[in-house]
Amino acid sequence: MDQPRPKQIFGAQVNGQGVELLIAPQETLLEVLRDRLELTGSKEGCGEGVCGACTVLVDGQPRRACLTLALEAQGLSVLTVEGLAQGGELSREQRAFIEHGAIQCGYCTPGMLMATRDLLSREPFPDEAAIRRQISGHVCRCTGYAKIVEAVAALGQAAPGEEQP
Amino acid sequence: MSPQLRYVGQRLPRVDSEAKARGAALFAGDIRLPRMLHAKVLRSPHAHARILGVDYSEALTVPGVRAGVSGQDSAAVKWGVFRYTRDQVLLPVERVRFLGEEVAAVAAESLAAAEEACALIKVQYQPLPVVLNVWEAMAEGAPLLHDDHPHNINVHVHINVGDVERGFRESHLVREDTFSAPEDSYFMTEPYAVVANPLADGSLELWMPNAAPHQKAKALANALKLPLGKVIVRKCAIGGAFGGRSDVFPAEFIAALLAIKAQRPVRLVYSREENSLATRKGHGMFTMIKTGVDQEGRVLARDITCYMDGGAYSSTGPIATSVPFLCMEQCYKLPNVRFNGYRVYTNKPIGGMYRVHGRAFASGVDLQLDLLAEELGLDPLEVRLRNARQAGETTPTGSLVQSCGLTECITKSALAAGWRDKYGKLPPWRGIGLGTNSVQTGFPMGIRGGSSAMVKFNEDGGATVISGVVDNGQGNDHMLVQIAAEVLGLDLADIQLISADTQATPNDPGSYSMISTLAGGGAVKAACQDALAQLLAVAAPALQAAPQELEAQGGQIMVAGEPTRALPIAKAVRLSLAQGRPVMGRGSFFPRVDNKREWLKNPFGQLSETFSFGACVAEVEVDPATGQVKILNLVLSQDCGRALNPLVVEGQFEGGASMGGVGGMLAEEFLWTREGRCLNPSFLDYKVPLACDMPAMANIIVESMDQSGPFGAKEAGMSAAMSAAQAIAGAVANAIGRPVFEYPLTPARVLKAIQEKQAGLPARGPQK
Repeated sequence: MDQPRPKQIFGAQVNGQGVELLIAPQETLLEVLRDRLELTGSKEGCGEGVCGACTVLVDGQPRRACLTLALEAQGLSVLTVEGLAQGGELSREQRAFIEHGAIQCGYCTPGMLMATRDLLSREPFPDEAAIRRQISGHVCRCTGYAKIVEAVAALGQAAPGEEQP
Repeated sequence: MSPQLRYVGQRLPRVDSEAKARGAALFAGDIRLPRMLHAKVLRSPHAHARILGVDYSEALTVPGVRAGVSGQDSAAVKWGVFRYTRDQVLLPVERVRFLGEEVAAVAAESLAAAEEACALIKVQYQPLPVVLNVWEAMAEGAPLLHDDHPHNINVHVHINVGDVERGFRESHLVREDTFSAPEDSYFMTEPYAVVANPLADGSLELWMPNAAPHQKAKALANALKLPLGKVIVRKCAIGGAFGGRSDVFPAEFIAALLAIKAQRPVRLVYSREENSLATRKGHGMFTMIKTGVDQEGRVLARDITCYMDGGAYSSTGPIATSVPFLCMEQCYKLPNVRFNGYRVYTNKPIGGMYRVHGRAFASGVDLQLDLLAEELGLDPLEVRLRNARQAGETTPTGSLVQSCGLTECITKSALAAGWRDKYGKLPPWRGIGLGTNSVQTGFPMGIRGGSSAMVKFNEDGGATVISGVVDNGQGNDHMLVQIAAEVLGLDLADIQLISADTQATPNDPGSYSMISTLAGGGAVKAACQDALAQLLAVAAPALQAAPQELEAQGGQIMVAGEPTRALPIAKAVRLSLAQGRPVMGRGSFFPRVDNKREWLKNPFGQLSETFSFGACVAEVEVDPATGQVKILNLVLSQDCGRALNPLVVEGQFEGGASMGGVGGMLAEEFLWTREGRCLNPSFLDYKVPLACDMPAMANIIVESMDQSGPFGAKEAGMSAAMSAAQAIAGAVANAIGRPVFEYPLTPARVLKAIQEKQAGLPARGPQK
């Protein structure tokens, strides 16, 4: 048995709030989010970075939280699905997914929403191919992806120059 | 009743979607209780072995470990869906029958401690010879998995209607083909998870993904030797089922035993690989189909023999063995038919029902019709229409089909896909194919075959609906709320739903037999009508009108046609309380089926009260250099009775076409070693469709307005899911100019067919 490695203090901004925790160095970001901070919106579907259900944004970049050590996010900002709504108001990605019927069982939804936020932050008006490419890192077994693609496309349909909400 | 429908038929966002969008919906693995322990299961490394001894004493010495269990700690009750299929001890004592079967488990303060302890459990095995496919299993002298089942035949379904031999003699053309497919798998995105919580009164509450909470509770109560009321299955969000959450699993039994032993809550979360191999998987299938037709392509006789690789235990075996046949006898007219279905035990994980159960069955029936049509010089579309089931007909095994929009589905799909312009006229390596299917809305299940519901009004004029229906992700919660809001004249937001909790809700048959809308929705509709009638009786004197003159709309009770003579529902509710006449609505829906019908002993009589029908046209392009199939377009249609919410119905079509058509027909299959180890239980190696794999899909909703279903609704999505696989099989054959009999249609299989054709070899089915 390996000797347990000494615990370390992990500090980050999670959904805009400062957190400080004593964690083991091998704890993943997903474990810290789900088990310590009780932010269970991010899901584990495979534990090996394939299904995308655990995707969160670390300093704005999408990361598989199941393959990311929490300490890799040391001092950075972490955005999870729970941080999308502001002041209780759903974000535009959340509203679009709901209105377009893009959510069935909902297990892939948190990861899909984070992928959508990431895509739109880089590419405000993505075409269908770009949307499909982006969400192809996320497995959904319920929807056949059609309504998810529709939801994301609707978000990117405002005319260029028009202010994005 | 309000003549104008406000919600039925509208595209409405689902009531459960906001919690899911916020990440607030709690799935079983998200539930955390005070003092909760974490469990880990030790699994058999052998596909078949005698257990000589299990010793977990050393595991208990690991710091933080609070309990251990093996089969010796249980009553070792054999469980089975039917009395005659009781063959699985949920934690085995004497023998393991597949690689990965549960042997022992521990619960500890942390998952890490549980994993460490698990590695210290000592199990002595005596390995036994294994059988890994149906031919090995049925061979003379093969080792038996269950001693009372000679040749490892678990289930034999035999159906013989009419005079099949005469039908063949009178046929103008007869074909015989064989089709096969290995096991496929559900890959629901949520891995299986259970939380078990022992309560102070000796009862046990549990959360787990399930497709029938009341049946989980009953099976667990039997296995734990507890009274039924002491086993409480609670509601949680469920990350997909697709047929793979239907019956009881060792996971909940183990979590329950550990929780009782430790007197602490226990959470057991499966890994992706455990979910693939230790819950359920699809059946491997080998189907021989002989069909005789007249000169116009009408089927006169069909003889089908199917061998299904069922894995180590029965599970829903008699149902699983029958359903592929039943779907096809519902779908097409069959004057003379014989079916022999064999489910065979092998040393592999347990086979269960699957959303697109029987790709090597239904695709075979349809592809063979294409081949017969071709030989007769007929258009396959015409042949489908000539054989298509019509309303008012009776299936060979005796089910009256009371509503049927199949012809409309076929016609509309073909029209939208441009069939007449494309069939036989496409450029090389392009093809078009047509699939049709039909599914049940429930089965005869005796005392568990019906659903009941209750409705109460609250002081503020809102209502609470109480129903046993479970939502696996398909939208059943929304379906119930929408029906209630429609009947009660309330907004969706005014309806509270209590559902899928065995302590609080009445019985329900579960969602896996596609019965939820018909029976569960029907029960809620009846309960709401009952509650409303009571409320109208209270309101009538206040409005100086007769109750039958009143209707509920927009939160008001009003005299029909006179909106000024109205009373808020909240006021009527308070009036009922003031008068000591509180409103409590109740309703139930027990489908009219023949409860004497039995899967093996008497497979005759009304199977379901009503059936859904679907069709799909697929257009594909095949790369002759690689065998890669690209689906260009799918036109999906289904007679769902009535689309209560087209947004939800379309989602069911599209998801079904993804799982059944694109995944099921082109890519999905389990691979095995000679030792019975699955080579691809992970998302990385088992190829489910991604967004980049999905073609354009068009949805056509056909509404036959069923006389029994709530507002005419039957079932949404399953027929479309299944027919997509059939359409793609036909389209690929059309594209390469020869049938392929082995599925899924991977590039290797398609390329082999192309090369054999170019070499002038005959098209051959799979060899045993």
